[in-house]
Amino acid sequence: MDRINKAKLILWTILGIAGAVAITRFIFGLGVTTNLTDNTPWGFWIGFDVMGGVALAGGGFVIAAFNYIFGKKILHPIARAAILTAFLGYVAVAIGLLFDLGLPWNIWHMIIYWNPHSPLFEVGWCVMLYLTVLTLEFTPVVLEKYPNIKLLSIIHGFLYKIRIPLVILGIMLSTLHQSSLGSLFLAMPYRLHPLWYSPIIPVIFFFSAICLGFMMVMVESMTSSYLYRKEQEIHILGKIKKYASYMLIFYLFVRFADIIIRGAGSFLFSFSWGMSLFWIEILLSCIIPLIIFSMPIKKIKISILYFGAFIGVVGVVFNRLNVGGITHLNNLTEIGSFYFPSLMEFSISAGVVSAAMLIFFYFVENFKVWEESPFDNLVINKASKFNSFKVYLGSNPIVNRTKFSFSFIFAFGLTFALISGGEIHSSGFDKSPVTKARGADTLLIDGNRDGYGVVFAHVNHQKLGYTCGYCHHINKPDDKATGCYECHDDMYLIGDAFRHDWHSSSSGANLDCFKCHNKSVSKGMNFKFSNKKATHICQNCHNKIIPLDSRIKILKTYKSLSYTDAMHSLCINCHEQKLHTDSLLKQIKPNLAQCSKCHKNFSVFKKDKKLFQGKKENKWVVVP
Amino acid sequence: MEELLNFAKGPLFRFSFAIMILGLIRLFVLSLINGLEAKKKARDKSIPKGYVRKMTFGFLFPLRAFRVKPIYAFVSILFHIGLLFTPIFLFDHALLFQNSIKISLINLSLSKQVADWMTITTIITGILLFIIRISSQTSRFISRKQDYLLPLLLLIPFISGLVCAQLTVEPDVYNAFILIHILSGCLIFILMPFTKIAHCILLPLSQWITARAWKFPSEAGENVVIDLGKEGETL
Amino acid sequence: MKAILTDITKCIGCNECVKACKVTNNLPPDKPREWQKTDGLSASNWTSVLHNGKYNLRKQCRHCVEPACVSVCPVGALHKTETGAVVYDSDKCLGCRYCMMACPYGIPRYDWDEPVPYIKKCILCYHKIKDGTISQPACTSACPTGATIYGERDELLKEARQRINAEPDKYLDTIYGEKEVGGTNVLYITAKDCPLDFLLYYNNRIEKGKELAGMPDLNEAIPITTKWAMGAVPFAFLGMGALMSGIYWVINRRNKLQSENQKENQKQEDENG
Repeated sequence: MDRINKAKLILWTILGIAGAVAITRFIFGLGVTTNLTDNTPWGFWIGFDVMGGVALAGGGFVIAAFNYIFGKKILHPIARAAILTAFLGYVAVAIGLLFDLGLPWNIWHMIIYWNPHSPLFEVGWCVMLYLTVLTLEFTPVVLEKYPNIKLLSIIHGFLYKIRIPLVILGIMLSTLHQSSLGSLFLAMPYRLHPLWYSPIIPVIFFFSAICLGFMMVMVESMTSSYLYRKEQEIHILGKIKKYASYMLIFYLFVRFADIIIRGAGSFLFSFSWGMSLFWIEILLSCIIPLIIFSMPIKKIKISILYFGAFIGVVGVVFNRLNVGGITHLNNLTEIGSFYFPSLMEFSISAGVVSAAMLIFFYFVENFKVWEESPFDNLVINKASKFNSFKVYLGSNPIVNRTKFSFSFIFAFGLTFALISGGEIHSSGFDKSPVTKARGADTLLIDGNRDGYGVVFAHVNHQKLGYTCGYCHHINKPDDKATGCYECHDDMYLIGDAFRHDWHSSSSGANLDCFKCHNKSVSKGMNFKFSNKKATHICQNCHNKIIPLDSRIKILKTYKSLSYTDAMHSLCINCHEQKLHTDSLLKQIKPNLAQCSKCHKNFSVFKKDKKLFQGKKENKWVVVP
Repeated sequence: MEELLNFAKGPLFRFSFAIMILGLIRLFVLSLINGLEAKKKARDKSIPKGYVRKMTFGFLFPLRAFRVKPIYAFVSILFHIGLLFTPIFLFDHALLFQNSIKISLINLSLSKQVADWMTITTIITGILLFIIRISSQTSRFISRKQDYLLPLLLLIPFISGLVCAQLTVEPDVYNAFILIHILSGCLIFILMPFTKIAHCILLPLSQWITARAWKFPSEAGENVVIDLGKEGETL
Repeated sequence: MKAILTDITKCIGCNECVKACKVTNNLPPDKPREWQKTDGLSASNWTSVLHNGKYNLRKQCRHCVEPACVSVCPVGALHKTETGAVVYDSDKCLGCRYCMMACPYGIPRYDWDEPVPYIKKCILCYHKIKDGTISQPACTSACPTGATIYGERDELLKEARQRINAEPDKYLDTIYGEKEVGGTNVLYITAKDCPLDFLLYYNNRIEKGKELAGMPDLNEAIPITTKWAMGAVPFAFLGMGALMSGIYWVINRRNKLQSENQKENQKQEDENG
């Protein structure tokens, strides 16, 4: 029991991590928890959870077909486990999809709102129906346990009778949606790399799903034999190995034939990122497994066979990831930034998989999934030696329960602690810090130094007779013309004009709390929502913080506008006001308040080569 | 100092809070499952429901205790009320709740004077309880080290909180006390599911489980011996 | 069908259209977030003006004649209206983002920072025009130079052709949106030295200029690509069913015959023995 318990402990820990991340995902939304962008709206959750998951669950229909339809009775001992794996796989797909969908509570809309043109619509329906079929196929295993309840045994008998039609229906549905997952990408001929985009991508998906089905069944059988210390099912593995190799050869043939007939053969050898991904995929999914499977089963070690099957599974899942996102245009050209999944995306996927595995173990231990119970041939090893240092937690199941639940809550708590809401909220923003304006009489107002700023004739405004304080509306103590950038310190984000930590720290102003906070009303019910009463206002100490002639007369909040907003509101408001009051000005300069008046053609700066470093000529940029 | 404070306010607090909530749920569910399993194994499945109910209510509303040990019961009740309600309904905490999880208790929160008096009551009654525990020989006999330490630990956040709310002027002193306040609070949160403080959530179960324990199957003791690997040894 | 014609040469980059769009559609102010594209469009910016040092280009949803987004949406949350606008029904949407993946211009945007996110894009002010509050989209009515105009698609195509023919030296001899991906309802004409091919994802493909079998033509509508696969669905479904039943029947029968043979053999042996 040691192996399986260790595995379960790890799985529970992963589940705890995923639990905390799941809460974050639903509270904060997709943008900050994933690395998805407008360029790559689909990511790891689609590529692995949905497309990989459906393919991984392909073992169910393949083994069912061979066992029930083709009459290969040798596979019978693993048929139930394969169907259970498929069932849990589809449940995992559905749950993984709930995380990826923006509005997961609307998933049932697919039942009532129809758009039969959409491949996704078809996939959705097939998965729903197939999940039902799988449930019906697996229910007898559960019902078997209660032979004394009459109603259940009647249902059991009925389901047993219709099992062949059910299996056939299952195969029909699987054929459809395994291939339709490929059809999804037919609609994006411009997104996929030519080595993957093919008009017959549905067919390729179907064949690779069959290959994966075989290899996944091998992996699953060998893993559970290892964990439960069962004897490896060598003769069955040998049989599946044979089928898998035939299917892999066929798949490899179809794949290359497709590429060559389409005329994309040159991409196979033109060195690029896409090419290397392709060869890695082929090496993992076909070549390594084929080499290992070609050896006779008696001669190879079980660990090498395991390695081969596992690598094959990884390879086909890698194919799904390639189609699902890695090889997309934005990852291979300069159109968009490279997408790599965030840690949160990985942990959710890992959590969904662990949950499915735990449920698998539960079924295996409590129902007759295998022909013999996992506990039958276990040597019940008693506690080796009494150890007085060990805390006695109780009998085995109780110990397990205690340990697993503890690892779950501990992992949950730790993850919950590491995820900071504040950091998450600010992580999505591109910080663009503001620097001081350059120039003397004429300023180049260009906060983030990208070369697309405004030339501002500072001296002309001075000549008009305005005092400094008119524009420099709030100044640092003992200063007359504090620069805009000191408070408006980000181009687009709201900043903080007041530094609480500086005022309270002993190295700064070293004020005690009650210097600003009113002792009598700062605590207790009187405080309520009126912040004003709670603290003294800044002007009590800084009597010249707002100049008398300033445009802004009172300090309302500690927040400072973003740099662009501040500049725009200061300049545009004044210009518009002047335009309205001064009729003469309206005649001379009618465009005074228009954007293009200040944001002039950038070609004026072109002499200044430094500004345009890194900016390509003719590159399109957004007009602010 | 600032960094330590930020760490205590952020990750440490979240960790201990999550451990507390989930740990208490876990403890409750585990006790329930284990109790039910014990019931399945027991030959005599009957349980003195009336007795369990009476004991639980007696625990919640200790009217009988007033007659037997009036001073102890009174002090204990005051201590528990202060312990539970002061932190939850304190105005400053209500502000924190509102800012972090958007649950507003501000309208329910205590006024400053009431909160202060409740805190002082809690501290005094806590010390009284400690003295009672030490002075009584019976309770000394059944007490372990942690049973003396836990009540004192519970008082630390109250004392430091009171200092922060009333006495401090210097920011550095304030920060030091608020750090003690948060750290001790976090420690209590983490310890809650693993120590006797868990009686706050196990309360309705504990009487049931005790009643259950009398009905263990007769060979239960032997199973324990087998599990411990002490078969054949003379007991 | 109504359409918009944007003349790149006339645009002065005043951003009036962007402002008008924000006001009419009640959009919040825009904050650059790391998941946005660099073209200025976002969930709160349905049109944007780009500048390349010489020309200004207004970007918005192209309202394809045969839209890819409409054909791929599994619940039909997007649909093409009678005026040509492609509009979005947030009540139906389930958030799969297939429309964003399938759009050949990469237009639809997502509320990434909302816990309840929706797809956002230009809807040609469809609802307000239908109500009668405004007679044409906010952007076209706000344009001070007439660089972007609203009208019947056929007439605008004629107008564009006329402008190109009138000044062949100035204009590039292409109307963007006339034919590509089956035609769009937002058309562009542009100056000679300012081709707009980059707007369409096709033209950024790796195998640029290479003929690959199975790739749809530039002027073919996207929905065609999935047509054969969707058409083959019933045949694949029933065909697989028939095949499996057939195989089952054959193998079952063979097994039965075998076991009967065995029985007979045994009987004979018994008789003989």
